[in-house]
Amino acid sequence: MISTILLIVKILVLIGILMTGFAYTMLVERRFLGFFQLRLGPNRVGPGGLLQPLADGLKMALKEDLMPTGADPMIYRIAPVLSLFAALSVDAVIPFGAPIHLFGQTINLDIANPSIGLLIAFAFSSLGIYGIVLGGWASQNKYSLLGGIRASAQMISYELAMGLSVLGVLMMAGTANLERIVFAQQARGWFVIPQIVPFVIYFITAIAETNRTPFDLPEAESELVAGYHTEYSGIRFAMYIIAEYINMLTVSGLAVTLFLGGWLGPSFLPPILWFVIKVAILVFVFIWIRATFPRFRYDKLMSFGWKVLLPISFLYFLGTAAFVSGIL
Amino acid sequence: MTPFVILAILAIIGALGVVVAKQPVHSALFLVGNILSLAVLYLLLSAEFLAVAQVIVYAGAIMVLFLFVVTLLTAGKEEGEPKEQLGGQRWLAGVLSLAVGIALAVLAIRRPGPRIVSGLPRNFGNLHGMGLILWGPDFLYLVGIAIMLLTAGLGVLVLNRPVRRKDARSQRRNEA
Repeated sequence: MISTILLIVKILVLIGILMTGFAYTMLVERRFLGFFQLRLGPNRVGPGGLLQPLADGLKMALKEDLMPTGADPMIYRIAPVLSLFAALSVDAVIPFGAPIHLFGQTINLDIANPSIGLLIAFAFSSLGIYGIVLGGWASQNKYSLLGGIRASAQMISYELAMGLSVLGVLMMAGTANLERIVFAQQARGWFVIPQIVPFVIYFITAIAETNRTPFDLPEAESELVAGYHTEYSGIRFAMYIIAEYINMLTVSGLAVTLFLGGWLGPSFLPPILWFVIKVAILVFVFIWIRATFPRFRYDKLMSFGWKVLLPISFLYFLGTAAFVSGIL
Repeated sequence: MTPFVILAILAIIGALGVVVAKQPVHSALFLVGNILSLAVLYLLLSAEFLAVAQVIVYAGAIMVLFLFVVTLLTAGKEEGEPKEQLGGQRWLAGVLSLAVGIALAVLAIRRPGPRIVSGLPRNFGNLHGMGLILWGPDFLYLVGIAIMLLTAGLGVLVLNRPVRRKDARSQRRNEA
């Protein structure tokens, strides 16, 4: 009984943290993009612009929810929900800190701790494509459709390199359980040191999986208006944006867990703060890259994924396998 | 028993939806529903790795490629199918598949396999168990499938190879 209540509380707290995290990641991104471009960014609502996300949220919720005449109503409505669902559910298996003791109970700082947590995270994140492809198709607009088709091709291509890049960690830790992967790093040092190449590849593919600049071809505004979410407005448009930012937090959280030692760190700060700091640094790199790089051309994007990232991660994977099995 | 019945009904609805749905995209989505309910059925057997592999491979990769092709081909098409030209073949196929299903069910009840009698083996369908099977007794099949898939991939490369310059020139001369 008490464990069920605890679970529900944990789920609600996690969703609350992710929603707040999304809102302020977005604000931080807009402010930083402003600074990168020598302007101020949103700073009028509340002190230093701190209430801007609230204003944006109200605006989104109150806007009219439009649907094009030729659209497929059922799929048009369900697509953004799928996107958001996939983004939120991945976080259920990420451990945010070492288990804590409170009121005589041991509380794990994750919703679930399955023995194949890493694979479950990948399974849910691979379902996130459906929201984008279906949204693009259901809008019955050629720009949306092109965006959706681009998204499916891009995400499938980069998912392969992403999967191969984490296999090295899986072999070194000898388990697919995310909590035990962190404990393995406690014993043997962060995996980013022996696995530096897969870490870089993971990060590049993570940018592509979240459809952010320079891989934001599904929503390239110079060619496709706004890509798959051209026709969306109001709360459903907001769902797509929330999903994108939560995905960014999620892939950063996974990268921290797999390569950067999770919640580990010197003991003058509590473990959960170390986790948050590491995720914040990675999110800043995301924003930095967005402000720095121009968008890829579509054929370059494909050849980069298939001819550069995939072979390198495969070779590194084979090398790690030889090393772990003791051949080398 | 209740979860099994619910999932089985969901899987059958998904399977029927694939055949009945008018829009190819709807068919594809019904198939995804079918795949996901099968994955949860695997979970009920505590075959967690099988379940996750089912989602990653079928729902996450293969069905997305299906959707890619279907959305590309059906974009902007008028709704509704062309007139039926198969003349009763749908009904025949339905009856036949129902008969095959009943025959399989009868066989399964009257002559259950050794696994059903003796219970599932240890580590059934989890990461460890699958690894032991694939790299142990079934290693030859694994290699066979790998070679088959590699052949398919190479075949695509060969079929789509760019035209060599000499061939292109002679072709142009022929056309002229």
